[in-house]
Amino acid sequence: MKLSCHWLSEYVDHRLDASALSHTLTMCGLEVEEEDVLRAAADGIQVGHVLHVARHPNADRLTVCQVDLGQKDPLQIICGAPNVAAGQNVAVATIGATLLLPGRSKPLKIKRAKMRGEVSMGMICAEDELGLSDDHSGIMVLDADAKVGEPFGTYLERRGISVQDTVLDIVITPNRPDATCHIGVARDISARCDVPLHPPVVVIPEAGGEASRQIKVSIACPDKCRRYVAMVVRGVSMGDSPLWLRRRLEAIGLRPINNVVDITNFVMHECGQPLHAFDYDKVADRTIVVRESRAQETITTLDGKSRTLPPGTVLICDGQRSVAIGGIMGGENSEVSRATTSVLIESAYFDPTATRRAARALGLSTDASYRFERGVDAEGQAWAAARAAVLMEALTGGTVVEGMVDAHPNPVVMPSLTLRHARIPKILGIDIAHGEVERILKALGFAPSTAGPDAWQCAVPPHRPDVTCEIDLIEEVARIHGFDKISLPKVAKLPGMAPRQRPEEILRRAVYGLLGGRGFREVYTNSLLSRAEAEQFCDPVLAARGSVVETLNAVSQSMTTLRPSLVPGILQVMGHNQNHGQDTLRFYEFGHVFHKVSKAVSYVPGFSEYDALILAISGPIGPLEWAEKVRTGDFFDLKGDVETLLESLRVPGIRVEPFDSPTSLTEYHAVIYSESVEIGRMARLSDAVGRAYDIKSPIYFAEFNWTRLVLYARSHVARRYQPISRFPAVTRDISLLVDRTVTAGEMLSSIRAAGSRLLQEVTIFDLYAGDGVDRGKQSIAFSLRFGAQRTLRDREVDAAIHKIVHALHEQHGAQLRGPGA
Amino acid sequence: MAATASDQSLLEIVAAVRQDVEQADLDSEAAAEAFRIRFLGQRSGLITALFKRIPTLPRGDRRAAGIALNGLHKTAQERLKAARAALSSGRTAARQHVDLTLPGRRQREAGSIHPLTHALRGITDIFERIGFSIAEGPEIEDDWHNFTALNFAVDHPARDMQDTLFLQASEDGAGGVMLRTHTSPVQIRSMLAGRPPFRLIAPGRVYRNETITYKSYCLFHQVEGLVVDEGITMADLKHVLYTFVRAFFGDDVKVRFRPSFFPFTEPSAELDVWWDLPSGGRWMEILGSGMVHPNVLEAVGIDSERYTGYAFGMGVERPAMLHYGIEDIRILYENDIRFLSQF
Repeated sequence: MKLSCHWLSEYVDHRLDASALSHTLTMCGLEVEEEDVLRAAADGIQVGHVLHVARHPNADRLTVCQVDLGQKDPLQIICGAPNVAAGQNVAVATIGATLLLPGRSKPLKIKRAKMRGEVSMGMICAEDELGLSDDHSGIMVLDADAKVGEPFGTYLERRGISVQDTVLDIVITPNRPDATCHIGVARDISARCDVPLHPPVVVIPEAGGEASRQIKVSIACPDKCRRYVAMVVRGVSMGDSPLWLRRRLEAIGLRPINNVVDITNFVMHECGQPLHAFDYDKVADRTIVVRESRAQETITTLDGKSRTLPPGTVLICDGQRSVAIGGIMGGENSEVSRATTSVLIESAYFDPTATRRAARALGLSTDASYRFERGVDAEGQAWAAARAAVLMEALTGGTVVEGMVDAHPNPVVMPSLTLRHARIPKILGIDIAHGEVERILKALGFAPSTAGPDAWQCAVPPHRPDVTCEIDLIEEVARIHGFDKISLPKVAKLPGMAPRQRPEEILRRAVYGLLGGRGFREVYTNSLLSRAEAEQFCDPVLAARGSVVETLNAVSQSMTTLRPSLVPGILQVMGHNQNHGQDTLRFYEFGHVFHKVSKAVSYVPGFSEYDALILAISGPIGPLEWAEKVRTGDFFDLKGDVETLLESLRVPGIRVEPFDSPTSLTEYHAVIYSESVEIGRMARLSDAVGRAYDIKSPIYFAEFNWTRLVLYARSHVARRYQPISRFPAVTRDISLLVDRTVTAGEMLSSIRAAGSRLLQEVTIFDLYAGDGVDRGKQSIAFSLRFGAQRTLRDREVDAAIHKIVHALHEQHGAQLRGPGA
Repeated sequence: MAATASDQSLLEIVAAVRQDVEQADLDSEAAAEAFRIRFLGQRSGLITALFKRIPTLPRGDRRAAGIALNGLHKTAQERLKAARAALSSGRTAARQHVDLTLPGRRQREAGSIHPLTHALRGITDIFERIGFSIAEGPEIEDDWHNFTALNFAVDHPARDMQDTLFLQASEDGAGGVMLRTHTSPVQIRSMLAGRPPFRLIAPGRVYRNETITYKSYCLFHQVEGLVVDEGITMADLKHVLYTFVRAFFGDDVKVRFRPSFFPFTEPSAELDVWWDLPSGGRWMEILGSGMVHPNVLEAVGIDSERYTGYAFGMGVERPAMLHYGIEDIRILYENDIRFLSQF
């Protein structure tokens, strides 16, 4: 919201320059986002009196004026404005003055000039040339009582018009309905700087009187419209507002419209109460009825748009039809126009919630609805109506009809709150003196009275509906006293609890280090996908359960659905990078994935959500090297990464088991277990799916349920040392011939089972099929390491080997090769 | 026993010769032969000559001189032997052909950590160092945890401050399910799951229903903090936040702590840091904070008279972008390798 510093100083004599004022407001909780300086031309400009006007001999549109500037001789000035006339007081830019003309980047310096043969010793200015308004219809005609020869700046100041003003754009937080106007902001300044606040004095007429005979008001929905004040001003003459008023409104970014509307806007920005001016003669039956709208009612608002109202909207009606949407916008049928002679001023209290809902439903936010939504001063209606009426009398030549209508069926009851002095240091950590607390409360209008030892009873003023409990009062005291006065404790407190690092955190850090070292790059992808893409990857093959989770109000069709898997995000990243000339693609990501399920699985019933980790590779496994051949990564490269990762995280009993049923998403895939618990899946993606993402090389990925994996991983913290054997281990190699249909996994399980406790490790060190090996057979070689907490005898090892070879033969038909076969 | 001038000088000579013996370059057959003649030659070898001087020494000094000379003699013989062995096996010649400027075998390109992880960890590490523990919560939340328990009134304009992405419609502030709009619901979940004291930090992803532009994205990351205990005050809050910004931005950071509004804290404050720019600089909002509102404590069954606390929350993208000089937020989610490899 925009504030004029000059306007503020009408209500509080703060004696601060603009930047100090800006700092003060920010530190009171009214953050100043922007400062803008407005400057009128004043240097070298004087009040002149036009003595004589004659047509220019050589130009039809120019006049030759003799202007008295209070010196011995009048000056001759050539003027092109149509409205210049003898007897006027005008603003004259004298020789040497500079003007910033609209539409020109360089200032204009006034010089002695000859215009079509006639000498001109200055320039008679229009309002826009003086930087006062946009008006360029003619020269600015000054008041008759202007002093000839007086500096123009002095002339303006005497009329309450600033030569220079600073406009502050402040942020209004939802708890400060009182700060949506100049008096409200001035109240904070007055409290903070400890200087008096002086709002304008207005005599509020008694309810009733002639006004109550000229307009009848009834309220059918007192819960939504708690009060409706009406006043009538007759005999107004519609026209432009005086310069000071236009300057006020233009400074805060409002366009002047006409004197009556300008006054209602001015009063709203002065005291925060929105007003509406009806053309009194267009109000049928001289009656105002406030009621809720019925189904399908429409109204044409004064912006010319026809609007269908949601049922229950507050509607202002006259004797026959609706004339305004309460608290939001007036109707076109009753607005004031150039022809208006009598004005009905509406000053009402509309309920915040009702206004907010109606404004949202209508998609219409106005200066009025903005204030009613936040809550206007519950008792400010009569003051604002009277203030506007007085201004209309003064500025439009009208007459205020005696009295006012004050329909007030449902007054707001403001609470009374207790503030304990001892509670302040408990919250703020500093003591604030008794007198200072009381001063602040008084300055903000809380009328503190003593309530027991060291406590106050505070009547919440009607302009602070947001204040409802003691902590609100403490905040008020704190922000005026100053957050900068809260000093830092010399010694910090440490609560009586040990800081704990969750195992998850330790494991995650290990993953960053390990995958970084193995050439993986971490990515962050969008959790929102298009529905089609999300559904494609919401597949049991990827361990997805249930269906996709959709948003109801997405801004874009490409982001309607939550990701059920990290796979699509990674594919987008791979596609992007391959399109930008990158071949080696190795990525990983941590992120939540989401599914809709029938029963409660995680936090919110019906939704499943867990942290996933994905590793994905495609293309060459590493950079070009001079000593190695570049190789395209395959399933076993990724499997090596996965096994290394899981081993370093101390995930026990890692198994990768092929999953046989064919799928459309993958060429082949496998399930990763820790003991008997599934912790992830790995696969080669279907080449067709990869091509759809513009990726030409085969894609391999492993996706883990990280939330579950963490439960089974045992970081070093949870480990116990196993004594290492002091006795030498014995290594034996065996080579076997076996059918190609037998898998390495099957043979390894058989070896482990048969090797008993003496077998510590088994490694496959050779695998061969082809020349020298029978068709349909393969040669496979194992390295077996035996050990125990004692020296092994050859006999024992021989017996173990025999058992293993026997088991392989029995279970898989394997034949021992080479020596001893 | 006082040393005599003569044995002193012999030992000095031995030391000097030892240096020559040890530093001699023996990279060729010729050099090895020259070494032999110079130090060990029967007629004119330096060491041979020194042995001949022993009988000229005072009787009591001869033993020490003998030991020193014998040691030197052995060293020289060993060097010669080693050099000849190396020369005959050709190792030294091979050494001269190694091109040490060839690049190393890397096998993998260096991986990288996303800048947002660096920023998130940069922030949480500081708090962990001063005694905070990490907590987490879901990204799908319900009305109660995301708004109601945090003292957002059903129709309060504060709910307008955030554009919520709904998954399930909300009627009068109940029954709604949404993507969390802030990490603050983690406060609620953590407090419900335990008893005071609390001293936690909650990093996480949050969502806003916004069009993607260079400065806004439909999701971003926050770090939430919560401390609840007896005797916690706003001075403690200010202290922790000032400690944080000094650790994060440097000791000379210029800070502004000003009143603000959040439904779940009161008094509320925002912390700005001054950011120098070529055009003069401006205040940048870094985090929101405040004393936990009594209504929030009561909503999770904590006695707000006995316990007080503070909470704070900050975005991660903005400080990360400021720190790295990134101007378009979208590049963070594009994951171009040319971008990622810089972190």
